[in-house]
Amino acid sequence: MSDSWRFITTIAKKEVVEFVRDWRTLIALIVIPLLIFPALFIALPLLLQSEAAELDALDLDVVWQGDYNDELSVAFNESNIVISYEEMPIGLENLSDIGSDLDRIRNQEAQAVFRLLEDESGWKFSILYISTSEASTEARARMMTAISEWESEVVNGTLVEANLDPETTLNPVKWDGNWENADAATKGEQAGLALSLFIPMVIAIWTASSAIQPSIDMTAGERERGTLEALLCLPCSRIQLLAGKWLAVASITSAGVALQIGGLLFAITYLASSSIIGVPSISTMSILLLLGAVVIFAVMVVAFELALAMKAHSVKEAGSLLGPAILFIIFPALFTQVINLDSIESWWFAIPLVNILLAMRELLLDRIIIEHVAVWLTSSIVYAGMAAWFAARQFNREDLVASIS
Amino acid sequence: MKETLLTLTGVAKSFKEIEALSHVDLEIKSGQVIGLVGGNGAGKTTLLRLMAGVMEPSKGRILFQNHPVSSMRRNLGVVPESTGLYSRLTAWENIRYHSRIYGIDDEVAWNRVTHFAKMLDLTDALSRHTKGFSRGMRQKTALLRALAHGPDILLLDEPTAGLDVTSARTVRKLVSQLRDEGGTVIYSTHHLAEAEQVCDRIVIVHNGSIRADGPPEDLLKLTNEKSLEEAYVSLTSDKARPRIEDDNKESKIAKWWRLFLTGRTPKIKEVDESE
Repeated sequence: MSDSWRFITTIAKKEVVEFVRDWRTLIALIVIPLLIFPALFIALPLLLQSEAAELDALDLDVVWQGDYNDELSVAFNESNIVISYEEMPIGLENLSDIGSDLDRIRNQEAQAVFRLLEDESGWKFSILYISTSEASTEARARMMTAISEWESEVVNGTLVEANLDPETTLNPVKWDGNWENADAATKGEQAGLALSLFIPMVIAIWTASSAIQPSIDMTAGERERGTLEALLCLPCSRIQLLAGKWLAVASITSAGVALQIGGLLFAITYLASSSIIGVPSISTMSILLLLGAVVIFAVMVVAFELALAMKAHSVKEAGSLLGPAILFIIFPALFTQVINLDSIESWWFAIPLVNILLAMRELLLDRIIIEHVAVWLTSSIVYAGMAAWFAARQFNREDLVASIS
Repeated sequence: MKETLLTLTGVAKSFKEIEALSHVDLEIKSGQVIGLVGGNGAGKTTLLRLMAGVMEPSKGRILFQNHPVSSMRRNLGVVPESTGLYSRLTAWENIRYHSRIYGIDDEVAWNRVTHFAKMLDLTDALSRHTKGFSRGMRQKTALLRALAHGPDILLLDEPTAGLDVTSARTVRKLVSQLRDEGGTVIYSTHHLAEAEQVCDRIVIVHNGSIRADGPPEDLLKLTNEKSLEEAYVSLTSDKARPRIEDDNKESKIAKWWRLFLTGRTPKIKEVDESE
C-alpha cells in the first residue's frame, strides 16, 4: 500500500469512527434517512384516511333559500346535510350575490347557503360557501354531487320523454377499449417518469444537507477544538489530509443518501397504494451513469462544503456560511423539475448543478443521449475539479495554523 | 559525538506586514534539552511551528540533517499547546491514529507507548475516552502520542501550562529521562525556573528575535547578573509588542460592523492630579 493511500484511508477511517460514535449523528444521518419515506408512505395515507373519515362523519348545516325540490332535499339528507329552510332574500342581483348572508357564512353559523329558483327556463341554483373552511368546502362538494346526480336524472327523464336514448344522445363519441393499454410507455417507464420528478431533488438536497455537519465537524470543528495543529504536524500533505476528510464526508453522505433511496424504493414497492409510483425499469448503462452522476455531484458538493467550512474560523461561523449555501442547491433543484426534457437544448447540461439534476432525470427515464451525456459528464468533472481545487487552496492556507492560537 | 539535527539559518517569518520572527539562527544538536523562553507573543510558538515544518519561513531556511524540515516531519514529534486530542476516541486510539500515519506497526507503537505510560502513570487510562481527561492527562496522552513513533526531536509547546504541580513534575521528569537516554527536546515555556531546572540550553526569544542562546550559566555571565530572572529582565528590557494576531484578524468590514453595533471603547481620560 502506498504512503499516500495509507494516509488517506487512515484519516478517513478515523473520521468515520469518530463520527459514528455519536448516537445523535447516527440517528440524524442513518436512521432518519432510512425510515423517512417508509414512515411517510405509511403515515400519510393513514392521516389522509382519518381526516377524510372525520369529514365524512360530519353533519353539516346548510340554509336552503328559495324554491323547494323534494328529490334534492332527500339527496341532501342522505349526504348528512342538515337543512333549514328560508325565504329567498330580496334585492339580489343574481343567486351568487352573497348579500346579507356574508357574515353568517364567514362566522360559520351555517356551513353553506343553498339557493334554488325555478322559472320558465328551468332550475337555477348557487351555493354560497367559504373556500378557506374545510367544512364549508365539504358541504359544497356534497351538495354538488347530489345536484349532479339529480341533474342527470332530470336530463335522462327529459330525453326519454322525447323518445331519445340518453346514452347515445349524451355520449356519442366513446373511447374504445382500455385507455391504459393505449400508452406505449411501460409501467416501469411511467414509474421512472414519476420518480424523475423528485428523486434528483431528494438526492441533491440530502447530499448537500447531510454533508454540512460532518464537513463542519472535520474542519472548523477541528480548528476550534485545537486538534488541527497536531494533525498538520503529521508527515502527510494537506492535500492528503483533504482527500482523507473528503473520503470520510463522502462515505457518510453516500451512506445516508443510499439508505434514503433504499427506504424510498422499499416504500414504493411494498407500501405505496398508487398505481403511478412503482419500481422504474432502467438499463444497466443508465444505472451506471446515474451512479456516476451522483458520485461527481458528491465530489463537487462535499469539496465545496469542506472548503467553505475550512474558510471559517469557528463552528458557528461555518454554520452561518453553509446554512444559506444550501439554497444554492434547493433553487436549481426546484427549477430543474419544471424543465421539459423533450427536445431540450444541450447547453442546459453545462449549467452547474442543473446539469447533474437534468442528467439524473433523463437517466431515470432510461434516456441515454450521447451528446447530453458528453456535455454533463465533461462539465461536471470540470466543476468538481474546480471545487476540489478551491478546497485544496483553503487547506493550503498558512493562516490555518497561524490563527489557531 | 553530538550530531547536528536541526539548523535554522537567517530565518524570518512575516504575517502580511507584521514581522513575527527575524534573523533567527539556531543549531540544535542531539541529546540536548533546549528551552525556548519568552513572554506571550514573543514568537516562541511561531518558531516551534516553523521547526515542526507546518509553516514555511518568509526568509532563510530550516534544515533537518540537510533536508528541508517540511519533508522530514517523520523524524519529529510535536505536542502543540492545545494537545489536539479527539474526545470521542480513547487515549490509545488517539495515539494509534497518529502512529499509523507515521507508518508504525500497532504492536511496536503499543510497546513504546506502554513503556512511557508507566513513567507517566497513564497505563490504566489508555483504554478510556479522553473526553473526561484532566488537563494533565491530556498533556501526558499527547506526549505519548508524540513519542510513539520514536522521533529524533520532540517539540513541546508550553507542556506544563495549566498543569497541577504533580503532573508538571512528571512531565519534567520524563523530559529529563529522554535527555538521559540521548533524546533531543525543544521545550517552550515562559517559566524561567522550569527552564533552568530542565534545560541544558536556554534560548531567550523576545519581540521576534533571539536575545540570548546558551547554557544558563553563560546567560548569567553575558548579563553579569546573579539570577536567571534578572538576566532575562536585562535581556528583554524593551517593551513587549502586542500579540500579532489580535488586530490583524479583523477585516475592515468586520471592524466597521463591530463598531456600528457596539460603539468604540471609551478612551482613558488623563486625570489632572492638581484638581
